[in-house]
Amino acid sequence: MILEASNISRNFGAVRAADNISFTVEEGMAYGILGPNGSGKTTTLGIVLSVLKADSGSFRWFGNKPSPEVYRRIGSLLEVPNFFPYLSLARNLEVIARIKEVPLTDIDRVLEETGLLKRRSSRYFQLSLGMKQRLGIAAALLGDPEVLVLDEPANGLDPEGIAEVRSIVSLQRERGKSIIMASHILDEVEKVCTHVAVLKGGKLITAGKVDELLKGEVLVIASTGDPAALGRAIESSGIASSVVVKETLAEIILNEGYDSAAVNRVAYENGIMLSELKVKKSSLEEQFLELIREK
Amino acid sequence: MRGLKKIAMIEWAKVAPYGFVRTMIILLALLFFLVIFASSRIDISVPGFSWRNIYRFPYNWSSFAWVASWFNIFLSIIVITVTGNEFQHRTFRQQVMNGYDRSEWLAGKGILILFLALTGVIMVTLTVVIFGFAMTPDLTLKALFSGISVLPVYFLQATGYMVIGMLFVTLLRSNALSIILFFLYFIVIEPVIRVMAPAEIRPWFPVKIISHLTPTPEILQLASQAGEEASSALTFEGLGILPRQLPQNINLVMALVYILLFGTLTWLIIRKKDL
Repeated sequence: MILEASNISRNFGAVRAADNISFTVEEGMAYGILGPNGSGKTTTLGIVLSVLKADSGSFRWFGNKPSPEVYRRIGSLLEVPNFFPYLSLARNLEVIARIKEVPLTDIDRVLEETGLLKRRSSRYFQLSLGMKQRLGIAAALLGDPEVLVLDEPANGLDPEGIAEVRSIVSLQRERGKSIIMASHILDEVEKVCTHVAVLKGGKLITAGKVDELLKGEVLVIASTGDPAALGRAIESSGIASSVVVKETLAEIILNEGYDSAAVNRVAYENGIMLSELKVKKSSLEEQFLELIREK
Repeated sequence: MRGLKKIAMIEWAKVAPYGFVRTMIILLALLFFLVIFASSRIDISVPGFSWRNIYRFPYNWSSFAWVASWFNIFLSIIVITVTGNEFQHRTFRQQVMNGYDRSEWLAGKGILILFLALTGVIMVTLTVVIFGFAMTPDLTLKALFSGISVLPVYFLQATGYMVIGMLFVTLLRSNALSIILFFLYFIVIEPVIRVMAPAEIRPWFPVKIISHLTPTPEILQLASQAGEEASSALTFEGLGILPRQLPQNINLVMALVYILLFGTLTWLIIRKKDL
């Protein structure tokens, strides 16, 4: 077991930032903490990284109580990268390498992996936002930690930067690292994580496997000369949960286990000619918004 | 907690390349040397008095330590800035996440304070030696070393100034505000409180105690050609020019108590607060 958080709570004045949050991260998981801004993601990670104090609750890393020794086995990036602006990249990483007690030779390895080796002598304040974010990830990779804890790693980056960060994280995932990643970007969680906990207003709404929690509905748009007849046929076939008939088409939301071929088959069996059949998976974002609206 | 050597290496990696620290130390040394040098060129020729005694062994140990104490503010500003940077850039937070214990971080700052105090001691020693050898006629071994005991006292005083700065910046987490509070506390807040306090507790306030560790040299006494044989009434305190001070041994103990107290308060704040 990598991390077990039990009933973590934290108030900031009248605001309940984390409300009785419990979750478990097992080895090899890529665990996403998903939620809109202000949902308690950073507070939760801040508490398990021991930089914020919990009002109540407890957590264990690798089955142990939190300690500096435990944190040396974790690579972390919370919110924005935090470095000395007047120090060079190599010097900033040297501070962390000394704290983590890893060889200083590892500095060039992580700079290489994050594409910053050529800038090793540049000062931190001279870097672009994307480079700063990559240096944050480089610092997290120092010492080849067992777990990476990343809070909004693609925050503020342009699409190219997001892709770069995602590929770095995915590489670590392929190497078998456990990853805990907070994000409000659903696409990011879906692409990187195996498991997810959804937070809203400091509360854990749901947790589980990504593909189970965020499974998509299939929407089929069928164009035909007689959409009303198609609608009736689909309804009576029992393959759809909903059919909306419009002037020249029918919008069909299929039940689980059916695909567009089933629509085609029903139309054929009922002698209805289809001029066009479009398949659209409902967006993850729509489902996520639905999920947090429901609770 | 890891060894102090490792903590010192971590602190060194953070501070050594920081131009501000180097500039402040160089500025401090230059200003100190300049003040000593410029004042040494003054020649007050009153029969029976010689200003030059202040620059001669063994009196220069205490008089130079007193002059150096004016510049302790530089050392405090270094500590406030270096520590405040760790809050403002959130590097302290990052270090804790990377496995640096809060107590280790504070120990690192303690090592920095001791290093800076030692730098001050070296600066005073070098200046004393240069001016002492240049200006002391008939130098004896006894005269050379008899005033050297002021060095650990100056070391303690510089440490005290920096520990107060450290407490303020830990509390406020802002370099600018902490430097302002530091000045206000030394120049306005404590002196005003002292004036309002009963006379018997006035000498017991922290700034009073710490700043009095290197007392104003008894220039009247030193400048007298009789020097150490001068009358004890020929002192600023004896003449009523300076307020009553605590005896030096009590002052030393109290300074140590305050340093430990402020260090403990700093630790309690660091341990309790979010990063």
